[in-house]
Amino acid sequence: MHAVPRPVELRLLLPLAILVPLGFAVTHIAQTGRLEAGPMGVAIGYVGLMLAAHVALRLLGNRGDQLLLPAVAAIGGVGIVMLHRLPQDLLGTDAFGVRLGMATTQLLWFAVGVTAMVVVADRFRDDGPLRHFKYTWALAGTLLLVITFLFGREVNGARLWIFVGPIGFQPGEAIKIVLVIFIAGYLAEKRALLAGASARIGPLRIPPLPYLLPMIAIFVLVMGIVVISRDLGTALLFLGIFLTMLFVATGRRSYVLLGLLLFVAGSFVAYNLFGHVRIRVDNWIDPFVDPSGRGYQTVQALYAFGRGGLFGEGLGQGLPTIGGHLPIPALPTDFIFAAVAEELGLIGAFALLALVMVFVFRGLRTAMLARDDFSAMLAVGLTASLGLQTLIIVAGNVKLVPLTGITFPFVSYGGSSLLACFVVVGLLLAISHRSSVDAQVEGRGP
Amino acid sequence: MTSEVLRILILAMQLGFLGLLYLLLFGFARSLLRDLRSAELTQMASQSGIGRLAVIESIGDEPALGTAIALGPINSIGRNVNSTIFIDDDFVSGSHAMLTFRGRSWFIEDQGSTNGTYVNGHLIDRPVALSFGDELTIGRVRMRLER
Amino acid sequence: MIATNIRRLSLYLVLGFASVSGALAWWQVLDAHALATRQDNPQVIAARRSLPRGSIFDAQGRLLASSTVLDGISRRTYADPAFTHLIGYASLRFGATGLERTWDDLLTGRSDPNPLRDLLNDILARQPDPHDLTLTIDRRLEDFAAAQLGHNVGAVVAIDPRTGAILAMVSSPTYDPTGFSGDPATATGPFDAVAGAAGNPFLDRVRQGHYTPGSILKVLTAAGALDAGAITPQTTFPDQPKQEVDGFVVQGFTIREHDLQPVKPALWALSPALQVSSNIFFAHVGLGLGPDRYLDYARRFGFCAPLQIGSDPGALPVDPSYVSGQSDGGCAPFSDNVELASAAFGQARVSVTPLQMALLAATIANDGAVPGPFIVRDLRTHAAAPQGGPTAIVLEIYGGEGARPAISSQAAREVRSAMIDAVQGPIGRLYAGAGAVARFGVSGIETAGKTGTAERGPGLKPHSWFIGFAPAQDGATPSIAIAVIVEGGGTGSGHAAPIGGAVMAEWLKLAAGG
Repeated sequence: MHAVPRPVELRLLLPLAILVPLGFAVTHIAQTGRLEAGPMGVAIGYVGLMLAAHVALRLLGNRGDQLLLPAVAAIGGVGIVMLHRLPQDLLGTDAFGVRLGMATTQLLWFAVGVTAMVVVADRFRDDGPLRHFKYTWALAGTLLLVITFLFGREVNGARLWIFVGPIGFQPGEAIKIVLVIFIAGYLAEKRALLAGASARIGPLRIPPLPYLLPMIAIFVLVMGIVVISRDLGTALLFLGIFLTMLFVATGRRSYVLLGLLLFVAGSFVAYNLFGHVRIRVDNWIDPFVDPSGRGYQTVQALYAFGRGGLFGEGLGQGLPTIGGHLPIPALPTDFIFAAVAEELGLIGAFALLALVMVFVFRGLRTAMLARDDFSAMLAVGLTASLGLQTLIIVAGNVKLVPLTGITFPFVSYGGSSLLACFVVVGLLLAISHRSSVDAQVEGRGP
Repeated sequence: MTSEVLRILILAMQLGFLGLLYLLLFGFARSLLRDLRSAELTQMASQSGIGRLAVIESIGDEPALGTAIALGPINSIGRNVNSTIFIDDDFVSGSHAMLTFRGRSWFIEDQGSTNGTYVNGHLIDRPVALSFGDELTIGRVRMRLER
Repeated sequence: MIATNIRRLSLYLVLGFASVSGALAWWQVLDAHALATRQDNPQVIAARRSLPRGSIFDAQGRLLASSTVLDGISRRTYADPAFTHLIGYASLRFGATGLERTWDDLLTGRSDPNPLRDLLNDILARQPDPHDLTLTIDRRLEDFAAAQLGHNVGAVVAIDPRTGAILAMVSSPTYDPTGFSGDPATATGPFDAVAGAAGNPFLDRVRQGHYTPGSILKVLTAAGALDAGAITPQTTFPDQPKQEVDGFVVQGFTIREHDLQPVKPALWALSPALQVSSNIFFAHVGLGLGPDRYLDYARRFGFCAPLQIGSDPGALPVDPSYVSGQSDGGCAPFSDNVELASAAFGQARVSVTPLQMALLAATIANDGAVPGPFIVRDLRTHAAAPQGGPTAIVLEIYGGEGARPAISSQAAREVRSAMIDAVQGPIGRLYAGAGAVARFGVSGIETAGKTGTAERGPGLKPHSWFIGFAPAQDGATPSIAIAVIVEGGGTGSGHAAPIGGAVMAEWLKLAAGG
């Protein structure tokens, strides 16, 4: 376990030391009209945290991808600036008698997440525990889901939360990772069979069902619980991850089309069966029918986009309040992207999406360089989980698909989401460490 | 008038923020492109082989622990010195197993050995398709199929 | 193999990101303006709520609308209900209408007429400066026209034919929007009172009233036929006297003359036919012009499409007028010759706005070119004390869109001459003489005009119409063209013509007095 230099990572992390404090300062000046730096604690804490993560990876001798952490840190940096800029009492925690503001709470979760990332990147260098106990992982995840469903607390019409004292947690985030591990393990084992055999019905290629059955059974179970919990965004995300991994394992576009077809049929049934689905879809088709009622948030988000324009209203100068309230209640979570797009404009929003794409490319590159199928499938699934999550929430914000309540990775306010995202980064770092160590051994080989 | 100066200052800082964001993106783009080029090189180097066997458990120097054996399309495995993959172990038969690459996948077939061939800990009784990452146990040697 | 699939996956993900980026660009750039001007946009409401709002003045600098901010709420005061329909209202509770709506951004200062300043205001997030508007209308004429209409339901609109400047624009009944343009907490009562009042006061009859024109449309028929060469001022139709007794049969449908009373049927040419307002003569003219050319001339005069008063920014929309049935927002082809012949004397499915009729008169007055109407003369910096009149700093001067030729000046002169006879000729005097400005103390000036009596079916009193212009004598350039309608007013000569004559005379006196 020798320390290794990670120069590229350091070089790409250092600009954050200016970017984040600058963002904090400009929002403070724009909002108060006083020429002073304003509170900098959270900004300094954030930059320090990311540099600490860099040092830790160095000392632990991680040879993993050096672009993953800086990309995540930059995305999160934009996020923490936005959260700091919003009224701090909007959300936050009362933990142990201390009232913490939104940005401070988020920084604490960043600390937890980064720690988890470093630990996971170090502990899971060997993929054995993940690969060999895939059914155990799947069982544990499903159990967690059932517990949430039975004993969880309902927030905004969806039962997703488990509370331990003052700290709420969404098990759905953890299940996402567990599900990816299970599917990766299963597909890596059966890949040769899946890619070879297939039945045909007319022009459609049908997957060899017996081979897929155990996986589909667990997947359907998870989806069922998620759908009954009314967590539609997560259901869509799970389906996307599943189809993506199936596609990469088999190379069959027809499987994906079949899955999407089933999804559309399912959505149609859900539309006619569940009131809350109908409301969401009707809102999506035309939110202006009821702009002050059901369509309110969507319409306000569109107005935010419109105000932003090409160059944005400027950090700290957008998001007008109405009677002291923000027009969009779910701004720090579901609509954080609308806030970014309003204040930083189209070019700022593009920059944020580009950073996510950098992360996605590096994740997929990690998958391609992986030495074995399990690692490759795992990296694909983990990367797709964050990439698709971003796509779904942004598409919902811009009214391309019906809005679903999922978070923007590393940007939205929320502890469980942040923690899960960092665990994903940790796993990717572990996988890419393994393949780059192998490559070095090969280079020195006999 | 001071407020006008302040407005211009705020604007400059906002532009600075966006500029820095794009500078950072530029840095990422540069690293991405550089890596893409080196990745092509390593891929060209590794494309010469269709796979390799990494030795993860062994009792002697043939094969040695921690090494990787480059594979051709047809590999015979056994204690016979003419085998493509020579294993110096008493528990291995002279002609123990055949590891072949057919079309898209690797297959392993036992050649009627005394102690059998194991894939991921399971004894095989017919040709078995392998995935990258699968572990072969032949005698007291454990090897992992890798790309 | 996995590597290939991953490469394909990355392509799909790039496509996904590209499509959300495209949607984002749509909302942020391409559709941004439409979003920013929606009435339910909180920013529009907030700006209207708390920002100072510019004042509106008449052509002589008399204050018509002004705002004061009290307790953080902008309260709007309107000086004269005669202007209500064109100025509209800016209510925190009920949105904005009229000029208040179309000039909203400039009145509140959310946008600036100078693009560079606008950009600077935007990127430096400056507090906007409100702007003041000056109208083309003289309040004295507006009030005079409103008084002439009195309690009648109807509309008066007057245009300067040379420029297109609106001189008066009155719709009756009217109301005072001050009561619901202040504190939103007390706005509902006054608003509901207006909404429940008789005669639909919210309707701006000048722009949104849809009426059958009756005989005043004969001016369009004559203008088109003369320009196309289908008739000359001397053309007569041989069977006329006989038909006036029996009726003129078109495809089995009998067109009858209205009650000619003191006049004996004769072989009429254009001028006498317009004086007696012969339906059969103009049915012949319309048939002679033919359906395609008739629609073509209607379009040249502005029919069959929406109109607007002024150009962007701030154009006031005007409903389209039709000479036939409606189809896709335009005029449908005439279904048969019966419809064409009836439309030619202003019945059948013809539906017009008073503004379009004023434009028809103004076009004849303006040598055959349709003037582009406008109502806002200039934009100025905000006057801190609006009671003292507008500031001297004019930021923008507006005019109408250039006049578009509809018919030759030769044809326009021939129609003008017939319209003078229709008001002042030996027979025309009996019908429309009340429209002559000479009756109202303006001597030595001739008036051109035409009355109309729009039949509405059995049991309903017809609408009374008058269009005209003055001065109309040879060599004079008309300075006012007018359209008047009195709903259910009976004959054109009875109600609308005297109002038209009085308003035109008043304008000539005001103009002479300076």
